[in-house]
Amino acid sequence: MTFSEETLMAYVDGELDGPTREQVARAVAADPEVARRVTAHQALREKLRAGFDPILKEPVPTRLLSLVHNTPASKPAQVLPFRKPPARQRVWVQWGSLAASFVLGALAWHFGTQSTSSGPITAKQGEFIATGALQEALDGQLAANQPPAADVLVGVSFVSRQGEYCRTFRLRGADAAGLACHESQGWTVQVMAHEPASQDQGPYRQAASGLPSAVLRIVTDTIAGEPLDAAAEAQARAGGWRAKPQH
Amino acid sequence: MPAISEALSAQIIELLPRLRRFARSLAGNVSDADDLVQVAIERALVKCDQLHAGAPLAGWLFGIVRNAWIDEVRARTRRRRVFVAEELGEQVADPNSAHAQILPVQQAMERLPDEQREVIGLVLIEGLSYREAADIIGVPVGTITSRLARGREALQNMLGGSEQEQP
Repeated sequence: MTFSEETLMAYVDGELDGPTREQVARAVAADPEVARRVTAHQALREKLRAGFDPILKEPVPTRLLSLVHNTPASKPAQVLPFRKPPARQRVWVQWGSLAASFVLGALAWHFGTQSTSSGPITAKQGEFIATGALQEALDGQLAANQPPAADVLVGVSFVSRQGEYCRTFRLRGADAAGLACHESQGWTVQVMAHEPASQDQGPYRQAASGLPSAVLRIVTDTIAGEPLDAAAEAQARAGGWRAKPQH
Repeated sequence: MPAISEALSAQIIELLPRLRRFARSLAGNVSDADDLVQVAIERALVKCDQLHAGAPLAGWLFGIVRNAWIDEVRARTRRRRVFVAEELGEQVADPNSAHAQILPVQQAMERLPDEQREVIGLVLIEGLSYREAADIIGVPVGTITSRLARGREALQNMLGGSEQEQP
């Protein structure tokens, strides 16, 4: 009885059902050529495992651990919901306005000393609109291709339930992160949160690292479907981030 | 936060070593692979409302790592080969170190076409079944079988089959 190479591979991979497995096992015992082919497949499997298994014993980088550890709600961040706060959060919002002046102060200081351009956020008609470096980043930066020294790092982009494009961002140096959605008057900041800098995260605070849980919560409430992939993100930018027609 | 429980975050942390290993089989060098895990975890945390109790967490996360690799990290095309060459250069001083044995395998993986590399990574390195790999990649089991066969043949040619080791 002859076996195809794929059958012998499936045998080594434990994918054959009972009767076929026994046929191959008998052939391995009886036919040196079958045995040699099976051994070669097993040897390759072992070589690959030997090459990659040591990775399991490496210490997991702090940046990955803190990404998962940071998310539990037990670690409060300073949060300012910029719009439409639900009534039940009113007390919290009043506290939040203190945090708001703190964060905006930090932003004004950071960007005021960094460049001559305007601050990153301007209040217009009851909304907070991204301006300056933040607006430029939200308009132009793609998550996969950002200048390493950028003041603003863009994270996840997605389409909201209202059909608008939304993007998370992190303001480096101000230790603040937030979410903005593209509306008729520009990028409207939905939420910003300040997280005290923590030492072990310091060198790793990049676009893709964990968002403050408060921002993540708004993202989850806002998102329709899945985050955009790189191609969809580039396409949205090419279209000027104009809202997708609702179906 | 999108309701991620302590239990779920503990499960994800437990899976991190395997996610790093899978990412390494896709992305080659350490920093690209860890970037990939980082992007995937961030996406997973955004999407974790999709996760039902008892969902196969490992398969779900492998799928997110794989998709992140397809549409983000791979697009960066970092100087992967230069990295490998540098690491190899460091290892030459100590040919007995474990890395000296590992690198040829990892380099061979890098030279595989992407569609073969991801199947080899899921089935031969992570030990998933053909069915699980097919679900993650979104192809029929028959496609997994044929990609595995081609990938194995290419790896055997690059690494030297077991017959060459016999006297």
